[in-house]
Order: sequence, then structure tokens, then C-alpha cells
Amino acid sequence: MDVTWGAGVSHEIAWGGLIAIYLFLAGVAGGAFLTAALTDLLGKKGPSKVVRSGAYIAPVSIIIGLALLVFDLGRPFSFWKLLFNVNFGSVMSIGVFIISIFTALSVVYAYLIWVSSAASGKIHLTTGAAQTAASVEVRSQGLHKAVAIFGVVFAVGTATYTGFLLSAVSTNVFWSTPLLGIQGVPFLPFLFLVSALSTGLAAAMIGAFDSKDLTLYKKVDIVLIALELILLVVLYASVKPVFFGGNLATLFWLGVVLIGLLVPFVLTIYGVMRHKNLVLPVSSMVVLGGVFLRYFIVYAGQILR
Amino acid sequence: MDALAKKHYAMVIQVAKCLGCQACTVACKFQNHVPEGQYRTKTPVVGPNGTYPNVRMYFEKEACQMCQVAPCVQVCPTTASHYNEDGVVLVDVDKCVGCKYCMTACPYDARFLNKETGTADKCTFCYETRVSKGEKPACVSTCVGGALMFGDVDDPQSDVSQFLAKHKTEVRKPEFGTRPSVYYVYEGVK
Ligand code: SF4
Ligand code: SF4
Repeated sequence: MDVTWGAGVSHEIAWGGLIAIYLFLAGVAGGAFLTAALTDLLGKKGPSKVVRSGAYIAPVSIIIGLALLVFDLGRPFSFWKLLFNVNFGSVMSIGVFIISIFTALSVVYAYLIWVSSAASGKIHLTTGAAQTAASVEVRSQGLHKAVAIFGVVFAVGTATYTGFLLSAVSTNVFWSTPLLGIQGVPFLPFLFLVSALSTGLAAAMIGAFDSKDLTLYKKVDIVLIALELILLVVLYASVKPVFFGGNLATLFWLGVVLIGLLVPFVLTIYGVMRHKNLVLPVSSMVVLGGVFLRYFIVYAGQILR
Repeated sequence: MDALAKKHYAMVIQVAKCLGCQACTVACKFQNHVPEGQYRTKTPVVGPNGTYPNVRMYFEKEACQMCQVAPCVQVCPTTASHYNEDGVVLVDVDKCVGCKYCMTACPYDARFLNKETGTADKCTFCYETRVSKGEKPACVSTCVGGALMFGDVDDPQSDVSQFLAKHKTEVRKPEFGTRPSVYYVYEGVK
């Protein structure tokens, strides 16, 4: 019998693939920015390849992500209303401001990194242009540091926000799962922050894969992947098994766990020990795993409503 | 809910009286010009379950539950979803950007993205078109089985208040703490 007696059941999924990719890109942007800015702030030598790669990936990634988000709106051309009608009780409303500030900072930072690369001769320019770059660089030293520091804060904000956006939906038992059962401490912001750091770092390494010494980054990546695996075990133990079943089982076990975490984990360790450059395959898998993770979380939370 | 709300409109659904005729579904489509394939209310069948002589089947009207603690209002980034002066949850079409956050938050699957406007849409208790003029919502007026009641529960003299005082009612998914204003009565459901 027709279960609705006349009216078709329309069980629409409100947030689909575009939102999953947006959450992923926002994470990559945050993680790539952190990789670049922290190296830049803590290291002494001018902008290395990793710094440049991370600094350029961040704005590109967040801007594409925002474009997808706007495109997913029922009324794309009214997106500006999000800036003028504020609801402080809404995580999304607060997130709009965090992400806008992060986007602006990431664009400025990419420009400053470009300028200082030009000034230190890492990019080939005409002599005149290089001189201009050098003089801009000298004048923007203070600004450079300030943008990096504030950028770090907003990059962390952006990456965690993507988790809070989902975890704040208190009526969604999957998204709002608490961390280790502690009421009031949501799980997803932690998972998405770690995944953002890991995928952002991986993306930055892809852009600098032929650099000589990436060992430190690889070691950080090993730690992040291990952390993410632990968090997934925690998630698995915290929610009903149904969320990991059905159509989503393959996505989770094959995509998120195997391709995204276990294989890269083993390969990075192997690469570090044998001094082999496996950055391209390993980092690509980590990045892909980040996409799978967002898809899994976004869909699993809506499939059982 | 807005503590200054003047009224608290509520609907009572006597499930046993519903024939499943869908007059409410259709009346709502007429009244609210709801796009093809979309519904602000519908009354799906539950069952038939069990085997003779214990077969059970009834119809359960679904629509916005007019939560007094509404998750959709809480998450809405633009304040488009709001409580109006009479405590009714409405969507301000001018402010809504169609982000669908409210749709992820509503535990009753009451909302949809209107195909024509691109904004969030749902039952309004026919607030603007009927209730604010002293009429009942279209579904209530049209109900063939007399299964629907509507009124102000803050007014002890109203039909709904008097009914609620005498009968056992349930709200859907009380575990979410949304305090719905739509009450279901399962008395006599076999
Ligand atoms: S039923 Fe859904 S749409 Fe209606 S007030 Fe509650 S949360 Fe909002
Ligand atoms: S779709 Fe409209 S009403 Fe719903 S949360 Fe977004 S802006 Fe608010």
C-alpha cells in the first residue's frame, strides 16, 4: 500500500554533496593556512615552498568552498542578507563572520607571501618589479606578522566552525554526539579540526612535493592521522551501529578508514623510514579521505531522520 | 517562545476520528498555493500493522508542530524563522536565503524548500490568511471527520483548552524538548 495515501513521501536530504565539499574545502583552507603561517612564524628562513604552497591554497580553497555554499542556497543572489540579518544564537550566523574574516586574511597573506618570495628572488620578475616587491616587503614586515597571527586564530576558528555547524543541531543525534559522553562538549568540532589540519597539511605538501626536507611535516601528519583514527574509534563507540551500516558502510570503511587513513599512515611511516618520497600518493589519499569523511558525516546525520 | 506572546495557538488532532480522506491536504494546497509535489500538511497512513484480529491502522496528520522551543528558529542565521506576536513560528520570505539549516534542525520533517521562491516553507496555521482574521486554519474548517480543533490554549474558555483539560494527549518526539503546540489524542485508536 502507498504509505502516504495519496501524497508522495518526499524525504529530501537538506544538505547534500555541495555542503560536504564546502565543509571539506573550508577545512583544507584552514589547515593549509596553519601549515604555512606556523612555519613562517616559527621558522627563520624566508618563505619555503611549503609556506608558499599553503598560503596560496588557503584562499583558493575557501573561495571555491564559499562559491559552492552560495550556489547551494535556495536563493543564491540573496547571500548578502546573511551579513545584515544576524542571529547570535545561530552557529551559522556567527560562522559567516568567522569565515569572511578568514577569507580576507588569507587573501592578504597570500599576497604578502608572494611579495616576500619575489623580494627574496624565489619568483623570477623583472628587476624593476623585484625592487618594488622588495620595498613593499620591507614596509609590510609588521603587517605580515600580524596577518599571520590573526590568520592562525581565524583558521582554527574556520576549521572548528565546520564541526560546530553540524554539532549545534541538537535535534540530530548523530551530529550532536558529545565527546566521550561529556554533555556540552560536542565531538564533531574536534574531528573536523584534526581532519582539517591533516588534509590542509597534505594539500600544502602536494604543492611542495619536490622540496628536499619534508620529514617534519610527514611526522606531524603521522600524528594527525593517528589522532583521527582514535577519534573515529571514539565516534564508533559513541553512536548506534546503524550509522555505519547500509550504503554508508563502504564509504566509511573503504573511503574514510582505509584510503583516507590506514594506507597513508602505513605508507608515510614506510616513506620516512626508507627515505622515499611518497608525498604525492600519500597526501592525495589523505585529501581524498577528507572529502569522504565530510560526505559520510553529512549524509549519516540525515539518512535516519 | 516569545514571553510577550499574546496568545498560544494550538491544534488538537483526534486521531481516531480521522478517515484519511485527505481533505486537509487538498484544502491546504488551495489555501496556500503550495507548489506541485510539495506539502505543508499531509496525512499519511500508519499501518496496517499486525494480523487479524489485531490489525491496526490509522492516519496521522503531519505538519509543523509549532514548537514553543523551536530548533528551526534557534539555528536560522538570518532570523527569517521567528515567533510572531502570537507565538506562531513563521518564515519571513524576504529575509530567508534558503540555506536549509532549519530543515536539518526540524525533527518533524515539517519544512521544505519552496520550489518557486527558493525559501523555506511550512505550515503557518494559516496565520496571515485566516487566523489573524478570526477564522480557523483551512484544514480545520474542512476536516470531514471532525478530527481537528484549533484555538488559544491561553484562553481557558476556548474549545481546545476545555478539551485538553479533559483528555490525555501526546506530543511528537517530546525527548527533544521542543514543546510542540500540536497535540495528538490516540483515544479510541484501534
Ligand atoms: S515543527 Fe519543525 S518547522 Fe515547525 S516549529 Fe518545530 S522545528 Fe520549526
Ligand atoms: S532556509 Fe531560510 S528560514 Fe531556514 S534557516 Fe535558512 S534563512 Fe532561516
